Amino acid sequence: MNIVVCLKQVPMVSELPWDSKTGRLKRGQAEGMMNPACKHALEAGLRLKQAQGGRLTVLSMGPPEAQEVLYEALALGADQAVLLCDPRLAGADTLATSYTLARAIQAVTPDFDLALLGCHTTDSETGQVGPQLAEELDLPAAFNVEHLQLAGRTLTVRRVSDGFLETLELDLPALLTITTQEFTPRETPLGGLERAFAQGAVRMLDALAIGADLELVGEKGSAGRMLRVYSPAAQKKGVLLTGAVKKSVQELLERYGDRLGGLIGQDLASEEEGHG
Amino acid sequence: MELNPCLKHKVLRKSVREFAEGVLGPIAAEIDHQARFPWEVVEAMRPLQYFGIQAPPELGGAGLDTISYAIVIEELSRVSAGVGLCVSVHNSVALYPLLRFGSPEQIQRLAPDLIAGRRIGAFCLTEANAGSDASGVETMAVRQGGDYVVSGTKIFVTNGGVCGLALMFVVTDPGAKQAAASVLMVEKERPGFLVGEIEELAGMRCNPVSSIFLEDCRVPAANLLGRPGFGLKIGLTALDTGRLGIAAQALGIAQAALEAGLRYAKERQQFGRAIASFQTIQNYLADMATEVEAGRLLLYRACALKDSGQAFGTQAAMAKLFCSRVAREVTNLAVQIHGGCGYSKEYEVERLYRDAKVTEIYEGTSEIQRLVIARGLLAQPAVGRAV
Repeated sequence: MNIVVCLKQVPMVSELPWDSKTGRLKRGQAEGMMNPACKHALEAGLRLKQAQGGRLTVLSMGPPEAQEVLYEALALGADQAVLLCDPRLAGADTLATSYTLARAIQAVTPDFDLALLGCHTTDSETGQVGPQLAEELDLPAAFNVEHLQLAGRTLTVRRVSDGFLETLELDLPALLTITTQEFTPRETPLGGLERAFAQGAVRMLDALAIGADLELVGEKGSAGRMLRVYSPAAQKKGVLLTGAVKKSVQELLERYGDRLGGLIGQDLASEEEGHG
Repeated sequence: MELNPCLKHKVLRKSVREFAEGVLGPIAAEIDHQARFPWEVVEAMRPLQYFGIQAPPELGGAGLDTISYAIVIEELSRVSAGVGLCVSVHNSVALYPLLRFGSPEQIQRLAPDLIAGRRIGAFCLTEANAGSDASGVETMAVRQGGDYVVSGTKIFVTNGGVCGLALMFVVTDPGAKQAAASVLMVEKERPGFLVGEIEELAGMRCNPVSSIFLEDCRVPAANLLGRPGFGLKIGLTALDTGRLGIAAQALGIAQAALEAGLRYAKERQQFGRAIASFQTIQNYLADMATEVEAGRLLLYRACALKDSGQAFGTQAAMAKLFCSRVAREVTNLAVQIHGGCGYSKEYEVERLYRDAKVTEIYEGTSEIQRLVIARGLLAQPAVGRAV
């Protein structure tokens, strides 16, 4: 069984500083960590490898610091690690990212049986790379997978879709994205880290090494443009009404009655329906 | 000389921090309040090789270098100093002397259980009349056939209430004074090995520090570590390494206090603005951060000397002396920044303040560290060596 897991390093803090001009995150200012869903995907891969034997490759695209999450994966039991590190890959949207990952997988481990990804990342939340990568590689795929079972070359997976649980069957080779529901990641053994670094094993590849068309990678290859980034939290402003309760309630209704009215009205409607 | 942490040390720190914050973080305050030893954390640490940080992989250890060891202790202690203490003492003054001075037979027989964390190690030197003066040991071990029969009382034994194997400093030949101290490795299940009441201490409260009584406890001569009368040498060697662990522990406490001080100073509003905007508070924070950074460099330098096989005893004593003082001062300032809240058990800094003090006392008081440093200095020519 030949498994490839795509990992992303994301910033550790929840409130991210960003460049207001370019609309991009200032990644340099935050500590990086392995994206939580990617960690679950890696765990799913490690469990499959333990059960089936075989080889597990981890792949990431990012700046040199992204090596950290790859070493972490090696410490946890991955066999080889590849970092796509090239300034030409910077600024990629999900389309350019999935194109690049597809070329890398074909270059590094073309005979893979299963590609695993996290279902979404905490820094951009699009959830698009998995589906787009499946298209690029022309693979059967299932997304938001919580449970999987392998019999021969057939995968049975359970996934969440619009609040329903679906059970699907896929033939290998296939691609899955994994949620954070199951596959609780294991902790890193200290000796695993020592081994990972003793191997000295993260391979660094650039865009040319994976045979990518430079027109299709990075910002150049991106179909989407970020126009504006803003924090919804920054628009929140607390208003404190002071004084006697009766007066405050009156003021509340006067100032926000139109917005509250809708809510109150809805509640009344449901009450009446219930009793009607 | 490399002054920036290498990638390995950075990834290691993140991994240990994630583990410590995830597993220890939620219970750190509770195990201090209840003075409860967290066996569930020991359980979680066992397979991750926290009980064999520097032990060779062929015996089940992680095989890490000494800077890594310091980082592990620092990060555990940043979240719970009492647990950091347990792991530090186990690795540095119980397991390390066994690996360093034990015979191949002793290592094969006793090390795997320690490394796997099935037995927690303890180091029993201090007695009613012996502590800083290691030659004052009165616990007697009388040879009878193939055994030693041991009688005596050890006090303030870190990990005392939970240890599975204790390195016991004993006198085998009461006629000869200092030279006669020897080390016996005593398993807790031996008849006559009795654990006393757990001490009610100001800090490190999750660590069951206790007395250990030995009442005609029979220990096979095969458990003698090194040669008879070799005890002082073993003890001092173990303590050199132990001091790196205590320095790391003190640093972890100081780091936690610095972070808590920073957080609170940004949150707390007085006179209509965050207290972090006042120069006095900024000066406190600047001093705290500078001291912590200096302590860290001193400690890692001592660790790097050990890793490269050079003498490191003087630097280990300097690191221990300095980092423990930094821990006391930085936790004091963190409490000051917190004002009344800092004196309340609801805030972490109250615990850090209590935990910090003992780092100036155990594994060699600050006074003894100065003695060790001065001895090292005076043994050298007055013109400093090129470093």
